Amino acid sequence: MGKKVGILTTNFFSPDGTRMVYGGAERYGLELTKLLLELDYEVVWWQIGSGWEKEILPGVKIYTIPETKNEFMTFPNVNQHFYEQAVEMDYAIYFVTFLAYPQALEKSISISHGIFWDFPGFDRQLATEVDRKEWLRRMHIALSGVQKVVSVDTNTINWINATWPGLYHKLEYIPNFVDMANSKPRVEHPDKVRIIFPRRLTSVRGVNEAARAAKVLIGKYPGKVEFHFVGRGHSDLLEAEALKWASENDDIYYYWQPPHIMQELFRHMDIAIIPTKAAEGTSLSCLEAMAAGCAVIASPVGGLTDIVIDGYNGLLVKPTSKNLIEALDYLICNENERKRLGENAVKVAEAFSLERWKQKWRKVIFEIFH
Amino acid sequence: MRKKSGNRIVAMIPVRNEACRYLFQVLEHLSLWVDKIVVLDDASEDDTYEVAKSFNKVIAYKNEKTLFVENEVALRAKLWDLTIRQEPDWIVAIDADEIFEDRIVDEVEFLINQDYYDAVYFRIFDFWASQTHYRVDGGWNPWVKFQLFLVRYDPHLNYTWPQREIHCGRFPMPCQDFIPYYSDIRIKHFGWAEEREHYKKYLFYRDKDLKIHGQILPHTQSILVSPKSNDLEKWCNSKRLYFLRDGNNEGKGADFKNAAS
Repeated sequence: MGKKVGILTTNFFSPDGTRMVYGGAERYGLELTKLLLELDYEVVWWQIGSGWEKEILPGVKIYTIPETKNEFMTFPNVNQHFYEQAVEMDYAIYFVTFLAYPQALEKSISISHGIFWDFPGFDRQLATEVDRKEWLRRMHIALSGVQKVVSVDTNTINWINATWPGLYHKLEYIPNFVDMANSKPRVEHPDKVRIIFPRRLTSVRGVNEAARAAKVLIGKYPGKVEFHFVGRGHSDLLEAEALKWASENDDIYYYWQPPHIMQELFRHMDIAIIPTKAAEGTSLSCLEAMAAGCAVIASPVGGLTDIVIDGYNGLLVKPTSKNLIEALDYLICNENERKRLGENAVKVAEAFSLERWKQKWRKVIFEIFH
Repeated sequence: MRKKSGNRIVAMIPVRNEACRYLFQVLEHLSLWVDKIVVLDDASEDDTYEVAKSFNKVIAYKNEKTLFVENEVALRAKLWDLTIRQEPDWIVAIDADEIFEDRIVDEVEFLINQDYYDAVYFRIFDFWASQTHYRVDGGWNPWVKFQLFLVRYDPHLNYTWPQREIHCGRFPMPCQDFIPYYSDIRIKHFGWAEEREHYKKYLFYRDKDLKIHGQILPHTQSILVSPKSNDLEKWCNSKRLYFLRDGNNEGKGADFKNAAS
């Protein structure tokens, strides 16, 4: 085994360790870990938590740091704890940019999974000018401390460049990936149009707009369209409610699936809706839907504009229920247009292959970890 | 070690005097989606053993004397040892009054044919004095907790059982530390579906509580508290994803192991 890389994140598991989070960022973390192992590094993870330790891959441990204090959207205590615990590490990866505040290990990289400060709640959380300035000051320190910031989208890079032009040299664009090797041919089902919302059931992902669109369109096209809401809720009770709602509507489904099944699922779907409102990078779900040949309806938010060209490989609409209904109605009624967008989506997805992602990451790793 | 295809799944199930309860339904349903079913009859006094033996996929064993009442760990450990003789890739541990919802039939192959997680947790719903409503008050709330029912078996690991009188778990250590996945496929538990059985079961758990904890635990006490109407929820079936299995079955012809239910 070669040199050691310590990776600090907020939550791979829930803080009490009872549940594993299977979001896009965690899948990114697993692929990055596998790549580091391939390159003969030893990998150790840390996250916020109550003292437990687990494995996230065979032989790869995740330890916890019992600090939860959040100041100005940063976790300085977690950062300091990691800094002290990671003394055995040769290199560090801050899995979220703000975790590198106030102090980063000498040879370190941070990752931006997209701008998260574009949702209205952020303004409320940092409600005063003083708070905002303090947050910006800390962000600058976090971004300055590491040797390289890998960003999953150009949106973040443009924002940083416009805010602090001096950080330009630190930024590296490595968009998210899709494993094209897992792609299988589409399965046709001529009598129905299947529509999937493949996201967590949260307002920031546009679940309410999607639910409204589902309700309207199953009424307009009874028996002809099916809506599949596929993702965990933000609470157990919301999941219970969603299941109840689906059971009351013949053409609405609610469930979730492990990540490795998602690509299989997408090949049975015709349209994927990604009506996210904020805090978005280059969504893994969107890329997987594209790779499976789904026609995508996304919003021009975060990094989605890096992967969807409006009218070529999908449609970009502002995520209101009215816009979503209109775009869905158009694609439900236009099979040829669905197919054209889906075919182009496959071509575009090839540019975001896992292989290309690995090549780009290898380059960054060789440059910084030496 | 971890196979992404061709995994075999074996169910293990301890039984005692279940012939007139749910055993037939449970075995019938399991037969749709597992490869083998190892049944350990804990000295039944009825036709349980015969019912079990009537299923093609069942490999049945019978204890001369009951183990469960005095030593649940010994019963579970014996069942585990009998099950691993079948060289399973995955083991599902289920009781004679528990039935997975039908989604499992279409999705189990996808759940197990992967090389990442080794343990699958599910939510279990306690049907209360009926086969239509489950209990959601206090410790009965099924939505807030997941339990381990399905694990990948690794013959190179050293498995050990905790020395606890009851609630020793269905799997030996270190299964609880395996990389987990939390499935939304639900399990129906009919152990409380017959109201006339409640008091007898209460007495069993009361005596165990007093012996182990020196007091009756609140959850045990709640057995005798009739739930209010809003503490009971009506079961709603999830829709099956038939298309997943059909898609997976492309090119496999008619020999696909899970005949349509």
